[in-house]
Amino acid sequence: MNPQAKLISSLSLLLGTTLTISSNHWMMAWTGLEINTLAILPLISKSHHPRAIEASTKYFLTQATASTLLLFSSMTNAWFTGQWDITQLTHPTSCTLLTLAISMKLGLVPFHFWFPEVLQGSSLMTNLLLATIMKFPPTTLLFMTSSSLNPTLMSTLAIASAALGGWMGLNQTQIRKTLAFSSIAHLGWMTIILIYYPKLTLLTFYIYSLTTAAIFFTLNNINTLKLSTMMTAWTKTPSLAAMLMLVLLSLAGLPPLTGFLPKWMIIQELIKQELTTMATIITLLSLLGLFFYLRLAYCATITLPPNSVNYMKQWQINKPINMLTTTLTTLSIMLLPLSPMILSIP
Amino acid sequence: MTFLHLTFYSTFTLSSLGLAFHRTHLISALLCLESMMLSMYIALSMWPIQTQTTSSTLMPILMLAFSACEAGTGLAILVASSRTHGSDLLHNLNLLQC
Repeated sequence: MNPQAKLISSLSLLLGTTLTISSNHWMMAWTGLEINTLAILPLISKSHHPRAIEASTKYFLTQATASTLLLFSSMTNAWFTGQWDITQLTHPTSCTLLTLAISMKLGLVPFHFWFPEVLQGSSLMTNLLLATIMKFPPTTLLFMTSSSLNPTLMSTLAIASAALGGWMGLNQTQIRKTLAFSSIAHLGWMTIILIYYPKLTLLTFYIYSLTTAAIFFTLNNINTLKLSTMMTAWTKTPSLAAMLMLVLLSLAGLPPLTGFLPKWMIIQELIKQELTTMATIITLLSLLGLFFYLRLAYCATITLPPNSVNYMKQWQINKPINMLTTTLTTLSIMLLPLSPMILSIP
Repeated sequence: MTFLHLTFYSTFTLSSLGLAFHRTHLISALLCLESMMLSMYIALSMWPIQTQTTSSTLMPILMLAFSACEAGTGLAILVASSRTHGSDLLHNLNLLQC
């Protein structure tokens, strides 16, 4: 892609994100979301492949609809309360419409159908942007309006997302679609705790972004898109394949790794709010995710390819792993002992 | 005033239903998106008049600028999908199912 166009798109992404997360007026929030949508479309469609164009079409339609619905909900609230403040969204119809609009933006069930297809149609680095930066402004808007949202609706969306993310990820052989469903399941975890302790939503989002970034950078280095290609990834950089297994298990939420922290705190908070049934249900649903993470780890690290190989490493020169990949990988595995410090971040 | 509210809500709802149930062509979805934006423009223009806070008269202009950008982007995507898929029929957007 043209370097100037790439620069403008990246800077516009940063501008849109910063505009939305620092806004007090609904118009500014909507403007930031629109700038984000417009900026990432060239990045999705830069390869001009038919799949990329189809992904950008689906992305554009859903995100534009969601932005307009968001503006409509804030307009309704402005007709009834006379102000456009984000934290003062009090009218019940507006709150419901806002929840539907933001769940369409994020990819919560039942508005998730665009998400695996858009991730499948774009490159790995664009997937990283779609899964982390594009989800940050809507999560921030939910965080700011969390006190007036409907608990039943949020719980329903959350448990349905965790369930569907787990079940639909089981049948995938394409890694990008698997990671899309894992994203949907993690969004379910983020949403279930939003009403009760919104800071944990942001904590889950940060740790999810860290782990997902580590995975996408690793996959970009190994250059695999499907399970069959991932089977021979260990010959390219054996150490990175070993770390990939640990990062995948961290994403699944296994205890000594970083990914356990958000799940632990969410379960603790749900039990404190006397919602033990919901905590049990969402924990059991995350077992489905564990299955496909284990399958990815098995294909990457624990097994050997079907043909017998006489050499351990490939003879051609492999590209060096950049420092960012190693830093993100280490952080996504080793941060659990620092959890009191992490929990005190405002 | 109530009639205005009803008009605005029904226009927006009809356009969003048209966007949700578009069946054959991509361009009908884009048209419904534009009509949603138009109804929002009218509502945003009426709001400062009714609540007498004329300092927020900037809002419909800002919204119109972004809606024009979005319309241009939608048409660019329409052209791109015509180049790669041959037409703007929504039946043809099925490469990403598998």
